[in-house]
Amino acid sequence: MTSTLEARELVVVREGRRILDRASILVRSGEAVAIQGPSGSGKSTFARALATLLEPDGGAVLLGGRDARQIVPTQFRTRVAFLAQQPAMFEGSVVQNLKTGPALHGESLSDAQASDLIRAVGLDEPILQREARILSGGEKQRVALARALANAPEVLLLDEPTAALDPEAGERIVALLRELRLRGLSIVMVTHEDAHARALGGTLYRCERGRLAIDS
Amino acid sequence: MSYAHITLPRLLLSLGLIAVAIALSRRSRLGLEGDLLWGAVRGAAQLIAIGYVLLLLFNHEHPAWVLLLLAVMLVVAGATAARRVEHGPPRKVLFPRAIAAIGAGTLVAVLPVFAAVVPLHPWYEARYLVPISGMMLSNAMNVVAQVFERIFASARSEADQVEALLALGATPRQALERQVRATLRAALLPTINGLLTVGLVALPGMMTGQIVSGTPPEQAVRYQIVILYQLVAVAAVAGMIAVAFARRLLFTARAQLVLPPN
Ligand SMILES: Nc1ncnc2c1ncn2[C@@H]1O[C@H](COP(=O)(O)OP(=O)(O)OP(=O)(O)O)[C@@H](O)[C@H]1O
Ligand SMILES: [Mg+2]
Repeated sequence: MTSTLEARELVVVREGRRILDRASILVRSGEAVAIQGPSGSGKSTFARALATLLEPDGGAVLLGGRDARQIVPTQFRTRVAFLAQQPAMFEGSVVQNLKTGPALHGESLSDAQASDLIRAVGLDEPILQREARILSGGEKQRVALARALANAPEVLLLDEPTAALDPEAGERIVALLRELRLRGLSIVMVTHEDAHARALGGTLYRCERGRLAIDS
Repeated sequence: MSYAHITLPRLLLSLGLIAVAIALSRRSRLGLEGDLLWGAVRGAAQLIAIGYVLLLLFNHEHPAWVLLLLAVMLVVAGATAARRVEHGPPRKVLFPRAIAAIGAGTLVAVLPVFAAVVPLHPWYEARYLVPISGMMLSNAMNVVAQVFERIFASARSEADQVEALLALGATPRQALERQVRATLRAALLPTINGLLTVGLVALPGMMTGQIVSGTPPEQAVRYQIVILYQLVAVAAVAGMIAVAFARRLLFTARAQLVLPPN
């Protein structure tokens, strides 16, 4: 079972406008991809469609060569994690947030695993007991990343994970993503920042008016 | 039994009570004067009309008439529950679902009781069937209206949470669980409060009426206990069904959240 993620000519129409106009991408197992493009060009829409959170009006998303429509949504989304630009924290402590994903599938995350995850995203263990909703933007971003990783996904989709952060925190997130990629995850990152896109060290795509093209 | 006779002039005098509310509305600029006046007239007209309808029904007790009246009550309850749901789907989408939820909730509470607890002779005995069904329909209507009112609004205001859960691989049921729980709790609260305060604060009209008109109090009380329990079942069943409909409207078959357009 490979985790190649592919978008084939995705079309999304809203209010008579083509927000995605046959947007395609191919992300091989263990590959990193950065998507850049002007505001309103359809990057978030593309990321959400790729995460199957939004049903395209045309085209298809494929995981491991299989049409996502043939894969049970809960399974697809456990294998392909998605982080929104401003990730919502669930009520309760950080550790409760981390345990959410596995609990949804009838599994449980041990406290030791939670500690490992929180350290992996560059946070200190004491944060585990804090109330998740009152964390700073950067902390939430990292907790959301750890929460997604608790599901042991094969692909990570991130919508502007560094946009709400100061430059230094942003760079730390990118470094972290690079590290995750070395451990075998595929990464798709939408970003405004050229430096972050390059720092990720993978293929660069440009999004223009709903279309994607490799940026050379 | 003798009772205090309300003559027409005395009835008109009671309009003064509405006048109090209208005066207050005007003073505080609530803008409710029109609604109050219309409500007063309409409520009176409806009651006068149903008085005659009931009289006719009791005198010509025929299953078709009884069922027709119940059907009209159900349709009105459904239309009311589907009315003015902010941020919800259009009325024409909610209306049939409201009917189904209210109807099913009422059936669940009414059928077994009339089959086993309060046997009717004949089965369409309007004296019991109509008022008891009316109470059930009315409670179901309030519960369904509350559910619709609340679930779409909270799905919208907490959409980022619901989507975050979906993105973690939650089923629609899991993703909406918090909102459903809060909605059902709120919708069932009035019924539960009714159980807790009955007899202490509110004296149920039907029981009081039965006692006034000569039913032995302990029998009237038993009726009321059955009715209270029925109200609980109605609220629970109608609320659950309304939630199930709302969930289907909020998610696609592929577990994607779709909020109704504003
Ligand atoms: N549900 C919707 N209905 C109507 N228009 C929408 C909808 N969702 C997105 N759009 C429009 O589609 C276009 C693309 O939106 P999208 O959020 O994908 O852009 P983006 O590239 O992520 O922009 P940004 O860089 O500002 O985040 C925008 O013009 C947006 O207004
Ligand atoms: Mg965006």
